[in-house]
Amino acid sequence: MILGIETSCDDTCAAVVDADGAIRSNVIASQGLLHARYGGVVPEIASRHHLELVDAVTADALERAGAGLDDVETVAVTTGPGLIGALLVGVSSAKAIAASRRLPLVPVDHLHGHVTASMLGAQPIEPPYLCLVASGGHTFLARVDDPSTYDVLGQTLDDAAGEAFDKGARLLGLGYPGGPEIDRLARQGDPEAFDFPRSAPGELDFSFSGLKTSLLYKLRELADPPLADLAASYQRAVVDALVARTEKAFLQTGLRRLAIGGGVAANSELRNAVNQLGAQVWVPPMELCTDNAAMIAGAARFTSPLPYPDYLALDAQARPAV
Amino acid sequence: MSLLGMDTSTAASAACVLRSDGEAFEVAPEPATLMARPAHARELMPAVAAVMERAGLDYADLEAIAVGVGPGTFTGLRIGVATARALANANGLEVRPVSSLAALAAGIQAEAGAVGRGADEPAAARSIAAEPAANEPAAADAAPWLLPVIDAKRGEVFTALYEPGGDPKWGPLALRPEELAEHAGAAAERLPAEGDTPADRAGEARHTLLAAGDGSVRFRGVLEAAGIRVMSDDSRAHVVRALHVCRLAAGVRGVPPQAVLPDYLRAPDAKPQ
Ligand SMILES: [Zn+2]
Repeated sequence: MILGIETSCDDTCAAVVDADGAIRSNVIASQGLLHARYGGVVPEIASRHHLELVDAVTADALERAGAGLDDVETVAVTTGPGLIGALLVGVSSAKAIAASRRLPLVPVDHLHGHVTASMLGAQPIEPPYLCLVASGGHTFLARVDDPSTYDVLGQTLDDAAGEAFDKGARLLGLGYPGGPEIDRLARQGDPEAFDFPRSAPGELDFSFSGLKTSLLYKLRELADPPLADLAASYQRAVVDALVARTEKAFLQTGLRRLAIGGGVAANSELRNAVNQLGAQVWVPPMELCTDNAAMIAGAARFTSPLPYPDYLALDAQARPAV
Repeated sequence: MSLLGMDTSTAASAACVLRSDGEAFEVAPEPATLMARPAHARELMPAVAAVMERAGLDYADLEAIAVGVGPGTFTGLRIGVATARALANANGLEVRPVSSLAALAAGIQAEAGAVGRGADEPAAARSIAAEPAANEPAAADAAPWLLPVIDAKRGEVFTALYEPGGDPKWGPLALRPEELAEHAGAAAERLPAEGDTPADRAGEARHTLLAAGDGSVRFRGVLEAAGIRVMSDDSRAHVVRALHVCRLAAGVRGVPPQAVLPDYLRAPDAKPQ
């Protein structure tokens, strides 16, 4: 049994996963609304709340799994990338839990967690596959040939897709987080009413920063802006960019399976669009798409653990390991 | 019963086991580490494991876990508190939160040695003072009041004032050093008491304030200009020692681990990432 802990951004998460990928519990304490009034995650506020919640969330994950600490064989924790102060709460807690039972500990790359989230549960995806991860913090395409690692084929050069939704929603006077708000309003609008740029930098990279500027100009230009049409067209531009790159990656790699992850995987238009790519698509349930600890415990299955006491000096890394 | 204590309120990571037989096993960081980049994640658990091993104890043998809850560096405090709470939870122990400033004050008193104990150790009393005691003849006889000063960055310090013996007079507060100099000067005026001699009333018996901590080193000039004595830069008194966290914890009631949070003293900077 693997106990996973994840505190890289604004969700305090703990989960218990079996060696075969069965999820026994997956507890997520979201701080989303707390940061809403600031229009983004405030690192110090996030870190303070992680500390308030981490013990209770961990205890809850064990209880829901019907397990105690004595049943845990391995502890897994996100060591990065993410907000350094936030990461360190989870890392400190996980190290102390593991050390007090002399258990092995697995440091997990948060992105590896997203990439392998579809390998959890009853119908896991099997490598090789392509993975599109899009959230407020990351947007990248990766190929997975061996579950212990992944190759990034392309990534955003500026804003993440979820960030583009947040910023667009703010310009449209909608709430935070922006993705669900835009998704909702877009249903009443015409996605072809406005032509927003689909920037296509590099081979398989993304760029979303020009999009919000373009929306800003449109809003200034129009006396009575049709918000639903703007939301629908804006969403179409984000989704088109994601799907076009995915399609290109399929052509280049010859792969036929796709997993999507990250909070943007909740977007209804993206879900529809990837299902028309002619590939086999895995869209895990939302609680495995957004940040969660089950994917961290799951990824730990493919990484060799550090035995006690080799992890006592383990640190967190804000930036991805290159 | 034995206590494990730790403190991460400054750049240093301190750990100590105070075993039930009274013997202490301590990782006491060098004063130089206060000026280095904090590395609590890399240092704290190795220090904890080392003192536990030297004491020959398992976590389950402990009575409680004591932790310095600040004020101090936010990230450092969270690493200390998260570690203490998780160790306590995993072993069914209580946590005893201790003020890092109180622990620093206890260290100042310990390093000051016999100051205030009277005539039996006058040499020791003088050796600790940054300035010769002759500067303030009236104060040399009285025990100094203790002024722990932790660097709070952004031009401020976290500080509190303690009487000899550790009774808090005021604080903890986040202050600019100039404000502290003013505050401390005013607080150090001895209140008139029955039995005072005319000389006492004339203000000659002003208390000596003895400061230590990374903030006192950083703002030595401002503090000394206000008549506050600051321990020499290489003094061990500048480090918050986990030994003192353990000793103070003996008088603190244990609480459920989840109830323990840092004493931040400052609201978070509300700037989104
Ligand atoms: Zn994520």
